[in-house]
Amino acid sequence: MTGRELVARIQQKVAAEGIAWRTETRDTFKAGDPETVVRGIATTGMATFDVLQRAAAAGRNFVVTHEPTFYNDKDLTDGLDADPTYLAKQRFIAANGLVIWRFHDHAHALRPDPLIAGSARALGWTQYASPGDPKLYVLPPTSLRALATDVARRLNDHALRVVGDPDMRVRRIALGPGYGVPTLTADIDVVIGGEAAEAGGNAEYALDSAAAGRPRAMIILGHMMSEDHGMQEVADWLHTFVSQVPIQFIPAGEPFANAQ
Amino acid sequence: MASGADGVTRRTFVVSGAAALVTAGGGRRARALTARDVVARIQAHVGVPWRDTTVDTFKAGNPDTLVTGIATSVMATLDVLRHAAAAGRNLIITHEPTFYTGADEAGPRANDPVYLAKQAFIETHRLVIWRFADHWLARRPAEFTRALGDALGWTARRDPANDRLYTVPETTVAGVAAHIRTHLQIRGGLRVVGRADAPVRRIVLSPGTTDMASTVANLRDADLLVSGEPREWEVVEYVADTAAAGTPRSMIAIGRIVSEEPGMRACATWLRTLVGEVPVEAIATGDPYWRPAV
Repeated sequence: MTGRELVARIQQKVAAEGIAWRTETRDTFKAGDPETVVRGIATTGMATFDVLQRAAAAGRNFVVTHEPTFYNDKDLTDGLDADPTYLAKQRFIAANGLVIWRFHDHAHALRPDPLIAGSARALGWTQYASPGDPKLYVLPPTSLRALATDVARRLNDHALRVVGDPDMRVRRIALGPGYGVPTLTADIDVVIGGEAAEAGGNAEYALDSAAAGRPRAMIILGHMMSEDHGMQEVADWLHTFVSQVPIQFIPAGEPFANAQ
Repeated sequence: MASGADGVTRRTFVVSGAAALVTAGGGRRARALTARDVVARIQAHVGVPWRDTTVDTFKAGNPDTLVTGIATSVMATLDVLRHAAAAGRNLIITHEPTFYTGADEAGPRANDPVYLAKQAFIETHRLVIWRFADHWLARRPAEFTRALGDALGWTARRDPANDRLYTVPETTVAGVAAHIRTHLQIRGGLRVVGRADAPVRRIVLSPGTTDMASTVANLRDADLLVSGEPREWEVVEYVADTAAAGTPRSMIAIGRIVSEEPGMRACATWLRTLVGEVPVEAIATGDPYWRPAV
């Protein structure tokens, strides 16, 4: 089975789930020769250089990554062709016969969205999912401080950041994947996601809601603390229709060190 | 929007005449100054061509309101507006949006209680909010970068050829992190990519949002990037990869608002040179984040 044949099978499976393959999509080959014979598959939240080293060492020469490989959403390499880090990464990919393919847009289109499901699983919240709203989780009431502390411990998250009154009561949570943090509104207590702009959105709304006496909050996990876990779900999904080669989730992990 | 010295003078004269003259504290006659006048003065003196398409427009309040005082801030949060109103600074000049979207459009929040409470506060206190982003950012040398370097005590360490680059006595990533904590009001904590004991001499400052192109170019000659808000699939991934590539670099992310506070204090200082009639004050927005103790 070549890389191209594997992707064709993924596309067939996606089609069988009732999802049309997009004509414009991030989900394309990013590096390596698609005709390479696949010896093993690694799924990961982000194909960092470190993940590629671990994948190569484990003999997983086909890497399914959720986020970009070359430091921008479209994996454009203009401006990088003289950069030593970029060149070293490309050399490593070539020397180890790796193939990198991105699985982002169509992964989010699956139901349930494996990236949200993986995040909920890592948080221990699967049982709190709402049947009618894929992002809504209704938890036993607690304080924002207790919730944030529990989340940081469960994920071993060193860079978790919270906006909101620590003593506010929280129960209704909107959980989004990665940069897709749900919009904070009056009918949600706290939104949780991976990464968000600090201006022009939820952070300012959360600050103002507290000042207006209607406190709402946001918890930012870090992009990989949000979406890495769901690539285990993607590995499990691949197992249901690919059996010839080993499939392994290789976490990208949190890039941030604890600097407190 | 009209600009240029002639336009400013004419408009100031007309408005002053129409609004009559107000009497300040000791009976000294001061010329009435509207929010529109202040903006015209900024346009005339900012030193960069005024753009046809810009976010630098009035966001709330009546531009013809007489200005009693000016507050600059990174973000006109409700808390900042309360401080401004209490101090009599009724013109708020903000760098970031006020109404939760980049274009300051209420959109789906048009009937939201928090949005409505903010609008009601602005109306009750007759505040005027004007955004100053595109043109304050366009000034060279770069205001935010220089102000952050000054706030960190590194004025004398700035590279004369590249005002984003600073050379400090040899230290470590942890040493710079500790230095930043003592010089900036950080609540939510720093985020660090790289080894705490990595040696540092050359530092790149990138307040606000940090883009890939300038990061790649500047990190060639530097050990450490001090960033406001880096995207995690861009600069964060890049800096993480430098270690595996054998040319390790490090990053300290301090937050967009924290990184921009010195630049908006510098903006207040600059405005004082243009507006002598009313007090001008920078009001800190503050680090929006906190972290749980784990």
